[in-house]
Amino acid sequence: MDVILIMCLGVLVGSRFFPKQYKKLCERLQVVCTLALIFCMGVMLGQRPGFLQELGQLGLQSLVFCLVPVAFSVLFVYLLTCRFMNGREKRNKRR
Amino acid sequence: MVILAVIALVGGVLYGLSGLEFPLLTLLTGHSDLVLYLLMFLVGISIGLHEGILAKIKQYHIKAFLIPIGIIAGSLVGGAVCAPLLGFSIEESTMVASGLGWYSLAGVTVGNLAGAQLGSIAFLSNLMREIFSFFVIPPISRRLNYYTCIAPAAATSEDTTLSMMIRFTDEETVVLSVFNGVVCSAAVPLLISLCAALL
Repeated sequence: MDVILIMCLGVLVGSRFFPKQYKKLCERLQVVCTLALIFCMGVMLGQRPGFLQELGQLGLQSLVFCLVPVAFSVLFVYLLTCRFMNGREKRNKRR
Repeated sequence: MVILAVIALVGGVLYGLSGLEFPLLTLLTGHSDLVLYLLMFLVGISIGLHEGILAKIKQYHIKAFLIPIGIIAGSLVGGAVCAPLLGFSIEESTMVASGLGWYSLAGVTVGNLAGAQLGSIAFLSNLMREIFSFFVIPPISRRLNYYTCIAPAAATSEDTTLSMMIRFTDEETVVLSVFNGVVCSAAVPLLISLCAALL
């Protein structure tokens, strides 16, 4: 909940006080923060007792439990948004 | 971005395994919640800079719920499909898939309800879902559509994977992504408890 409140504060700052010329800087800082978070996640995993052993024993099963629900979620959301929202039009054509 | 994300993840795991203690990195890892807060503040600024975004979101009305409904239904069906493949009961499998990427909660809750092994699988699979999302969002934005980028991220679409949304989709999708994250996060404990009750 605190995360949402902080983001709302950011929305307020962005809509009222933040100079538009610093938009690019804001986006670059977001990338830096994202990479820092991914790094922290990696450190947390590496420091978890028995992580490599756990990954070796249960890794394959966990991978299947990751990929299959993701695949069905992607399929369901894609079909629903194409049918009921303007899903066919909203896609990235530049990158 | 994907290459940088891989480098950051592998670098972090190696640093964690090495047992080394660099003061700056220790400070960073000890305050990762502050990094997340800063990221959320910056994402908020990006949304705020986009004029008329809230009016656009209001147009969706009840349709805004389609994305979390699709994600929850897809995850549960996916979990049920995993059951015969991996030799678990449907209740156990759907319990693991109900984590929707919230690995810390799923690992602990499933562990308490169904034993340490399933708890570890819930932790790892939901962690993999979060990590996998970072890499799959860019191709989904190109080949499917912006809304579908939210699907792999599920409950994490309101925080950690949000920066990928803002980079590879648009501000409108980012707001829907936050909404989806709130709905999915609220649903995770309910879904896990519901599946556990069926055990």
